[in-house]
Amino acid sequence: MEVTLLMQAIEDSFRIVEESRKDAEELLKTGCRVTAEVRNVEGEKIKAFLTGAHQSKVRFQNFVVTFLIMMAFWALLSGKFDTFHLSLGVICSGIVAYFGHSLIFHNVRVGDTRLITWRFIKYIPWLLYQIVLSNFHVAYLALSPKMPINPSIIQLPSKLESDISYVTLANSITLTPGTITMDIDEDNFIVHALSDKVADDLKTGEMEDRVAHIYMEADHLYVQDVLDMSQIFSNIAR
Amino acid sequence: MVFRSEDVIVKTISRILVPFIQLYALYVIMHGHYSPGGGFQGGVILAASFILMLLTYGYGETKERISEKLVNLFSSIGVLIYAGIGFLCLLLLGNFLDYSQLARILPVEAARARSLGILGVELGVGLAVMAVMISIFLDISSGGVVPDDRDVDEDE
Amino acid sequence: MNTFLLAVGIVLCLLAILVLYRVVFGPGVFNRIAAISAIGTKTLIILLIFGFFYGRVEMFIDISLVYALLNFIGCVAAAKYLEMERER
Repeated sequence: MEVTLLMQAIEDSFRIVEESRKDAEELLKTGCRVTAEVRNVEGEKIKAFLTGAHQSKVRFQNFVVTFLIMMAFWALLSGKFDTFHLSLGVICSGIVAYFGHSLIFHNVRVGDTRLITWRFIKYIPWLLYQIVLSNFHVAYLALSPKMPINPSIIQLPSKLESDISYVTLANSITLTPGTITMDIDEDNFIVHALSDKVADDLKTGEMEDRVAHIYMEADHLYVQDVLDMSQIFSNIAR
Repeated sequence: MVFRSEDVIVKTISRILVPFIQLYALYVIMHGHYSPGGGFQGGVILAASFILMLLTYGYGETKERISEKLVNLFSSIGVLIYAGIGFLCLLLLGNFLDYSQLARILPVEAARARSLGILGVELGVGLAVMAVMISIFLDISSGGVVPDDRDVDEDE
Repeated sequence: MNTFLLAVGIVLCLLAILVLYRVVFGPGVFNRIAAISAIGTKTLIILLIFGFFYGRVEMFIDISLVYALLNFIGCVAAAKYLEMERER
């Protein structure tokens, strides 16, 4: 009868939509993984071929970027911009950058520095917003008469790879009030959290996803990457 | 002996901070005439940056940046700059450390020559103070025995 | 503006004096180190407020930077010493 046919048709259409959604998701995952692998393979190839030239190119880039950062810091400290003081600034920045160029950028692939810096600059406002939210929550906890805190120590296994991403995540966790990173024990973060709400916020892993997105590590399916991918795929499909 | 720290946070943050501390120390030395600072203060902050590296990485890794021999050399060079400028003023027919005589060899007028002379003397003082501070830290932290190359040869 | 900064300075002074209790009576050395660190952060802001009152802020920013630096290095050195003491 018509009603059962209609219901059958609706069920079929739902099934088809579900399957096509799964196929689209598979396609997006494969696309992300393929680009990550291609980038890895290229990096390994370049490192294996031109170790000598690559090393000196990395050193020169580190020297230039350190020199620029030092010049900006000098201009910030000294408010005088006449020729004498600026030339002193150039000499001092040159000396410091020459003797310490391998300090700030330890293990960085050539060509990624600008992207990482831009993503880091975009991450800071979100971190400030989280700090403000946590401030309100901890102030409410401290000022209420029965102080509903529940201090606990959590162990978070993390999927990050390099030193500087560990440090960025640990510092972000310590800066938001309510959580303190106690130790990093070979991929495990040992964190002390003040109350249940703060611990749950940490366990969802959003901060870790964002830090992995800055340093382009750990195959993750971050929202911004999916949006970029979908644009590429829509162009290909047309 | 100060051993290497195993904590990845302390190592990375010290590594990033050391160039900023060194640039701040050079700023304090150069701007002694305008804001609080000068030679001695800048020298101590410069030494503090190297001591931070020594604390977090141990002597073995910091040896290539600042070793015992380099520290001895720097302390002598600092005093040489200070006394050298003084004797230069003496040779140019003035009093000891009378910077206005420097106007004879530099193409500036007397007041500017005094300012440049003081800047040079502050640099010398900063270098000497940095070297002596690091030397004191190395002596106290290692109990007088620094594993230099000579000691390794003597053991063998 | 002056009275607002004066109020902020006085409140921070009172908070720093409260933390002094932990420095004196803290059972053990870890409490004392953490309390000294906390007093250090309050001292930075009080120095800057002094700078506003004397009209020369840029001079006091230099002093605050040096104090923050020494606070950090002091913490690292104290932690290093305690770690070595524990190993022995």
